[in-house]
Amino acid sequence: MKILDIIKDANANLLRNKLRSFLTILAIFIGSFSIISTSAIQAGVNDFIDSQVDSYGGDGYLAIVSKDSFDALEGLQGSMGDGNKTPIEYNPDKIQTGMSPITDEQMEKLKKIEGIDADSIVEQKTLDITYITSKETDKKYLVAAEALPPGNVKVDVVTGKQLDLRADEYQIQLEQKYVSALGYTNEDIIDKEVQLVVVDEYTRAEKTFDAKVVGVIAPGVVSMGQQYTNNKLADDIYEENTKYYPDEIKTQTFAVAANFDYEKYSVDDIKDKLEEIGLSGMTIEDIIGTIKTFFDVILTVFKIFGLIALIAAAIGIINTLFMSVQERTREIGLDKALGMSSSKVFLSFSLEAIALGFWGSVFGITVSMILGNLVNTAFHAEGGFLEAFPTFNLATYTIPDIISVTVLIMVIAFLSGTLPARRAAHKNPIDALRYE
Amino acid sequence: MSKRPLLCVRDLHKSYGKRDAKFEALRGIDLDIFEGESVAIIGKSGSGKSTLMHLLALLDKPTSGSIKLSGKDTSKLHNRKLNELRNKEFGFVFQSFFMNSNDTVLNNVILPLKISGVGFRERRRRAMEALKIVELDDKAKNKANDLSGGQKQRVCIARAIINNPKVIFADEPTGNLDSATGERIEKLLFGLNEKKGITLIIVTHDQDLADKCQRQIHIADGQIFKESYREDFDGDGDNDGMRDNNNIHHIDIEEE
Ligand SMILES: Nc1ncnc2c1ncn2[C@@H]1O[C@H](COP(=O)(O)OP(=O)(O)OP(=O)(O)O)[C@@H](O)[C@H]1O
Ligand SMILES: [Mg+2]
Repeated sequence: MKILDIIKDANANLLRNKLRSFLTILAIFIGSFSIISTSAIQAGVNDFIDSQVDSYGGDGYLAIVSKDSFDALEGLQGSMGDGNKTPIEYNPDKIQTGMSPITDEQMEKLKKIEGIDADSIVEQKTLDITYITSKETDKKYLVAAEALPPGNVKVDVVTGKQLDLRADEYQIQLEQKYVSALGYTNEDIIDKEVQLVVVDEYTRAEKTFDAKVVGVIAPGVVSMGQQYTNNKLADDIYEENTKYYPDEIKTQTFAVAANFDYEKYSVDDIKDKLEEIGLSGMTIEDIIGTIKTFFDVILTVFKIFGLIALIAAAIGIINTLFMSVQERTREIGLDKALGMSSSKVFLSFSLEAIALGFWGSVFGITVSMILGNLVNTAFHAEGGFLEAFPTFNLATYTIPDIISVTVLIMVIAFLSGTLPARRAAHKNPIDALRYE
Repeated sequence: MSKRPLLCVRDLHKSYGKRDAKFEALRGIDLDIFEGESVAIIGKSGSGKSTLMHLLALLDKPTSGSIKLSGKDTSKLHNRKLNELRNKEFGFVFQSFFMNSNDTVLNNVILPLKISGVGFRERRRRAMEALKIVELDDKAKNKANDLSGGQKQRVCIARAIINNPKVIFADEPTGNLDSATGERIEKLLFGLNEKKGITLIIVTHDQDLADKCQRQIHIADGQIFKESYREDFDGDGDNDGMRDNNNIHHIDIEEE
């Protein structure tokens, strides 16, 4: 018997008892719908988090402080939290609340750690800008900005382009909310200059930095509230901020950002090596890990629901096929009497099971995709839940996800079908023909 | 022409069930069936006729004894070969039709060719030919269930001859039909036997039908108790003069 004939017959047999097949497919549909939907949401969230991770320095990003500072930060939090930790002693050599600078010696050792890109090490400076304004408005706004972290950084921009970190001019990427406040639109602010002003607290003297806007940052979670500048702008603003500081403090470094080779070295390895020289490193995952864990837990729960639904559906397939083997006993007997091999009988019932799985998963995926796109559109519409995050699609359907869910369900369907299919294949043509 | 047994049966036994429930349906059958013959297996209900036919048709395996088909021991054949023999060399007409009643007449007739993997156009063409022989070509598109009993049995005959079989096994082919319709079916079957030289093995309890066959095998309680020949037939198994010998089919079982 030709395989095409077997496939046609399998589908025709499904149509013979439409209601029963429909109910079985419905059960599979529920399973495939929940699995593909959770996969889509997971993919959407991961995409979003990845884009955030990229805007913060990518997978190889490390924020490094001295171990003392790290403990001190933890200690501060701890002493506020449970009160059991001893308070931190005052030390006149340290300017910030218990923060210890990274020593020159540590810096040299840091540069030599295998896996860390020495060229990528950049001091992280907190910039103190008094306000931002533009020629299009009289208003002045508070603003927070920092130098873009090193490495393969890609800021998610709505319009414009990436910063040229080594450019000799002042460059800045602004959040969307500043664009309209400064009297521009996303499109026409690109390449215009805005004014960043630092006011001397004692003399009230103002120093203005004219920065060229190169891009508008897409709203996100991680970068929330930060504008990004190139190195020259950051260096000059920092210079202005610290002009009254004593030299020994001015040259102190409290935090650096660096890139490591995350493809060759494990994060834990690098962290251990930092520990050895008295430094402490944090990856972007450490920083935003909790958000991801939260989503992962919820989605895992939904996926388990989907799998349970699929197990129920598998039992449905077994049941449906046993009924159809029973009903078609005489037919199977006739087929075998007329020379059909047991393996072809097995194949025809297996294909029926696989067809059930196939249609169930196709319907589940189709409905999920339609709903997913409706939800995405609704959330991005004005007043929608995700209006502020135009680049975040809650449901993202990837081809590998679609294929793997379909294949998974067809495999489950096939495995469920093997029991009834074996019974059919082992039927003796005589017994089957005698069957009333 | 020398005698050449198509089927050669020796000391055939078949029992069903085990121990206390054991029942011996056939107890020592010896039988030769020659190419081109028409043979009736006649006996009372429960005597073991169908059981014997199923064994001859290689649908079932005997408990002991041997069946040789064209001189080849069938117990040594693989399932694949057995399937192929039933599919290509045998035609079946069963007592209670055995059709897929929800399918069309055409699809029912096509079944053996579909199983052997003949292409769509070819099998359709041959099905229409077979239906023409049983004069049902105008019903090809009808649902099998909508036919009368006689028409259904003719569809089964069309299905039995579509693969140009060497042997047709017919179990009570007229059992469910009135005498006029039954006669029509008989004419068809004997016509195939005479014109195409197809060996005919008919299971029946109807003496009138058995009388029309060249040879009658009477069985009771799983044993042959009498063999008789049609009056106009010389009874030596030599078919000369009965029909054109050129039409007689031989089954050649090639070695695996
Ligand atoms: N699968 C089976 N299990 C047990 N006994 C069986 C089985 N098949 C047949 N028999 C028994 O074997 C005997 C012969 O059965 P068979 O069907 O060959 O009779 P038959 O001569 O064809 O009768 P009928 O004319 O009624 O069709 C019967 O007594 C029957 O009960
Ligand atoms: Mg019988």
